[in-house]
Amino acid sequence: MNEVDEENQGWLAVFKIALPLCLSYIPIGLACGILLHSSGFNILLTGLVSILVFSGGAQFLIASMLAIHAPLLQVLLMLLFLELRYALLSASLSPFMKKESLGFLVYFASSMNDENYAINYLKFATDKNWNGHKAVMVNHYSMLFWTVSNMIGSTIGNLIHFDVNIVNFTLTALFGYMMVMQVKNWLSIGVAALSGMLSVWLMIVLKSTMGLVIATLIASFVGFLIEHSLEGHKHAFLLRGLHLHRRKGQFTDVKETSDNHED
Amino acid sequence: MRTNGDYLLLIILAAIVAFIPRVVPLLYFTKRKIPAWFDEWMKYIPVALFTALIAKDVFVTSTYTFNVNSAAEVISTLLVFLIAARTKSMGITVIAGLISILIFSYVL
Repeated sequence: MNEVDEENQGWLAVFKIALPLCLSYIPIGLACGILLHSSGFNILLTGLVSILVFSGGAQFLIASMLAIHAPLLQVLLMLLFLELRYALLSASLSPFMKKESLGFLVYFASSMNDENYAINYLKFATDKNWNGHKAVMVNHYSMLFWTVSNMIGSTIGNLIHFDVNIVNFTLTALFGYMMVMQVKNWLSIGVAALSGMLSVWLMIVLKSTMGLVIATLIASFVGFLIEHSLEGHKHAFLLRGLHLHRRKGQFTDVKETSDNHED
Repeated sequence: MRTNGDYLLLIILAAIVAFIPRVVPLLYFTKRKIPAWFDEWMKYIPVALFTALIAKDVFVTSTYTFNVNSAAEVISTLLVFLIAARTKSMGITVIAGLISILIFSYVL
């Protein structure tokens, strides 16, 4: 195999990893483009917001707040609360990116969002060959599919009727997949349950997505404290790996060998 | 009536608001020595965050009141967990989730 082929395999292999996410972006992006169109965005503005903001939740929020003629400052404030969760994402990716340059980090951060973060976190944690360069490729593939779907959605405008609730469920399903992939032991299931309950309660009490951020911080910290206090107990039930995890290990093994089968 | 200029201003300000929380922690935590306990804590962020996002989608309305939006959504979310654990495939999980919500919201 010559070098060109290996390079091709590089971007193609990364593309294959990003593909399921890219495909799930199509229906959500179309729906988002349709919504943005109905709140007054033309196709170019839709493309621009998809690249610059690049966040499904934020774009749905912008569309729905403009539809009720909310003032600019209020839209921005809501956005800030919604986007604060990105601070958690980039803080948790930082242990993997200590060697990257300042410029690269800025470049990487500009295209990071919930979904490509989940892929990159999983790959950084399980695949030794994963690096910042591949991670940024995942970001860009997902951004391409997202932006094009949004622009197509904006063009077809009112031609197609989507049930927004159903299309929105695509995101829920994506988050569900990503959550399950993070489950390592009973403790992580406990953290998940705690976070779910806390976030619903706090969001209702605070009337803001800030509740989501606080719940995530508290639940993950409780998880960390429990793990810490169980260290030394070799047979701690909570820390025992689940069947799921072992299979995941096999799965990544298989995947890695299949990725390298032409070597 | 809003002009294209208004939208452009909104997009640029929104981009700044979206960019700052993404970049600041990355710059801060990669360039400083972080205590080990912080990394240990960050390990639990993904699982907590994604569950919080799911709980928001299923149980919280856009006006921040508690509501089980639809039984179809609850059933489909549980199904998504099962399928994700079984298949480990993002594509299959999302497609199965969509089929499930289509069927259940039609039936229920």
